[in-house]
Amino acid sequence: MIDTLRASAFHARTAAVNRSNAWGTRNNVTLPTAYANANDEALAARTRVALTDLGARWQLMLEGPRVTELLQTLLTRDAIALSPSHAFKALWLADGGGVRGAAVVGRFGKESFWLLSASPDVEWLGMAAAYFDVGVRDISADRCGLAIIGPYAGVTLEAAGVQSNLEPLAFRKASWRGLEVLLSRFGEHGGYELWCAADDAVMVWDRIVLAGAAFGIVPVGTIAMDALDIEAGVPRPHRDYVPAIDSSASEPSPGSLGLASLIDPEHISFNGRKGFLATAKGETRRLTGVELDSDCAAPHTALIADGRVRGRTLSSSYSPSLRRAIALAQLEKELDRPGTRLSLTLPPSIDSTAICVAQATVADLPFLPSPYSCAP
Amino acid sequence: MTTPQSCDALVIGGGVNGLTAAAYLARGGKRTLLVEARAAAGGLCETAPLSDGALAPMAAHAFYALDPRVLKELKLSRHGLKFSVRDAPLSLLRGGADRLVLTRDVRASARSIATHSKSDAEAWPRYRNEMFALGRTMRALWWNANGKFVADGVVERIARTGASAWLDSWFESDALKALLAFDASLLSPPESGSALLLLWHAAQEMCGLQAAVAFAAGGPGALVTALMKACEAAGVEIRTNAEVTELTIQGGHVTGARLSSGDIVAAPLALSSLSRHTSLSQLANGTALGLAERKALNDKFPIAEAKIVLALDGLPEVRDAAGALNGRLIFAERLESYVLAHADARAGRIPQEPIMEVTIPTMGDPDLAPQGKHVASVLVRSVPREIPGGWTAAKAKFAAKALANLDSRIPGLVNHVIAAEVLTPEDLSTRYHMEAEDLHVSRMLAPWPQRVQTPISGLFLCGAGADVAPAISGRAGRIAATIAIGKR
Repeated sequence: MIDTLRASAFHARTAAVNRSNAWGTRNNVTLPTAYANANDEALAARTRVALTDLGARWQLMLEGPRVTELLQTLLTRDAIALSPSHAFKALWLADGGGVRGAAVVGRFGKESFWLLSASPDVEWLGMAAAYFDVGVRDISADRCGLAIIGPYAGVTLEAAGVQSNLEPLAFRKASWRGLEVLLSRFGEHGGYELWCAADDAVMVWDRIVLAGAAFGIVPVGTIAMDALDIEAGVPRPHRDYVPAIDSSASEPSPGSLGLASLIDPEHISFNGRKGFLATAKGETRRLTGVELDSDCAAPHTALIADGRVRGRTLSSSYSPSLRRAIALAQLEKELDRPGTRLSLTLPPSIDSTAICVAQATVADLPFLPSPYSCAP
Repeated sequence: MTTPQSCDALVIGGGVNGLTAAAYLARGGKRTLLVEARAAAGGLCETAPLSDGALAPMAAHAFYALDPRVLKELKLSRHGLKFSVRDAPLSLLRGGADRLVLTRDVRASARSIATHSKSDAEAWPRYRNEMFALGRTMRALWWNANGKFVADGVVERIARTGASAWLDSWFESDALKALLAFDASLLSPPESGSALLLLWHAAQEMCGLQAAVAFAAGGPGALVTALMKACEAAGVEIRTNAEVTELTIQGGHVTGARLSSGDIVAAPLALSSLSRHTSLSQLANGTALGLAERKALNDKFPIAEAKIVLALDGLPEVRDAAGALNGRLIFAERLESYVLAHADARAGRIPQEPIMEVTIPTMGDPDLAPQGKHVASVLVRSVPREIPGGWTAAKAKFAAKALANLDSRIPGLVNHVIAAEVLTPEDLSTRYHMEAEDLHVSRMLAPWPQRVQTPISGLFLCGAGADVAPAISGRAGRIAATIAIGKR
């Protein structure tokens, strides 16, 4: 099957303000990579307020009498304990314990859940849902979302007429001057998300941009969001790791991706637990950060210490806040102490064919606190 | 009302493997209870009356993979097991007078092959020697509980190749390739793993003869009778009409089983000779299985076998086939016939040209029928497990097609039929819990513990589903019992 690209529900507005006309695709959705300058956009998200299109999120509604049974088996956290209008972050693993996906799962009602993921896994979830006779509705094209990030995110929403008092990992429906919207706080960057019907997308965009103008709101593309993700120490599928496809795969392990915190040790009935526990015992690598003595990003590059390859970088980006390139990295455990020096080869540049070796320093994750924590 | 009962080891299913496992467990010092859902033990090895005193093998009709160690260690010959035919010839009956007979006599076989192809006749002794030699090396893996696959270039090549490509690399005549392909026909000949089935057959030994096929005197039920006596001698308690409805599991460990009567049997060790699907998905309710594994178990293999048994008031004159009638008669035109039959079955259709293996057990064991009468047993390979409209409606059409095929190969035989019983895949499943399972190269080359052990501690598989390939063997029962005793 050939996947066709589709435009986000906000495309009419994102296209109008995408001055650099730079586009990329995430999950077959075209999104701006940078509206003007990615570094400025990342800084705006830390110092003012920014909005970004969540059109590439995979959204499912899971409904049926056995839906909690499904989620208990599928996810690494216990859905029974989840109260309505609340959410948790969890993984789903292959039989062998390898990470297949990560999601935010919110509960609407007794038999109704909302699953949001950065990457679709249609086959696996479809298979699991069929096993438990649970109905699955893909609402990715029908519902769309905007993330509002930055220290002035809350006041921007208030200025737009949306009450922003909401605890993290919670959501609520709201009627917003004639529009039915859903406000959530799921993001790793501490902001808010505003979800609406695809038909209302343009109005929602306009209202937020208008309200945020006083606080210097700017739209943020995928490059700046990737930089914020790396600063926050958040690995993403297909950017930092290839999800387990083979059903018996034990790699990538949750531990090696720094995702073991998304596994509830009290929850013992999830799929892949046995494999996860077996892998966790012998885990030799850990997710950590590295700061490069360079402005040049070095994604997926070997990290060398004592003349040996001791790990590798995952995604890497220039961080305008730290004024240097940073990267997520998988490193041998004995080298993961902050301050440990490593070397790596930078990718070739257009003006030099010489092999350029740079130094890097191990850093704790996250590199920086979430932008929202700096809110006045 | 539930009656608690306890034992050291519970064996579920009283087929050949279940009985073997029970005997070995009891000999290993375990208080063993065997529970069988039907009124009598035996499973696929049932010899039942068909008509006017004729006894017919209702499911399995020939033995080619019985474990020599089981026969020896359980002293089955002392318990009455005898073979009426110890090394049955393998013959191909095609349309017209096109015949081919393979026996242990290499020269006689080569002469028969030479009527189809001189070069094949020359290649036959080399092929046979190579398969026999490779088969013997594979016994370390296939016959022993702790055997491991030692990488071997030729075996790896065979594992990657389909039977059609493997046979094409040796022979040119359609007749010889069609005859040999029957032993690989659980899979379609081009499928990888089908050539490995040929090797697996070559590795077997019956009555001390490599790759021989034997018929039990008194029918396949005689093996069950002997195994029952071995169980009795070892102290196994056998309960019939006792169907297990559920395995009880606590903290990932099996603790016993609940029977359809409501009785609960407490046992720290359970060996199931039922299929992997029935044991893990139904009895253990999918506990401890991964999502993908559950789905794989629930995906039913679409291709199955059917069986027809016929009571005959005599046999027609069959030219040049006096010796052949004593063995296995294969009805297949050419290699492609297997491919087409598989394709038809996969599509839910009765094959245009059914692949059949016919035995006439009364040729070697006249006591199975009144004087002058005979019994024919017909195994039809590659039929759909499920058929649109259901097998009940399709049964008559299927039987007519199979009998027409039979009459075209042995003209006049159908005129002698005085009684018949047709067992569709549905009948075989209902009556014997017979379930076709997909065969993978990885399964065939996996060490035994991988197939026998389950994710549930204390639960072991000891049936044909745990064997390298499904067959009446007893080896899965022996090895599962050995591994289970070793784990406790």
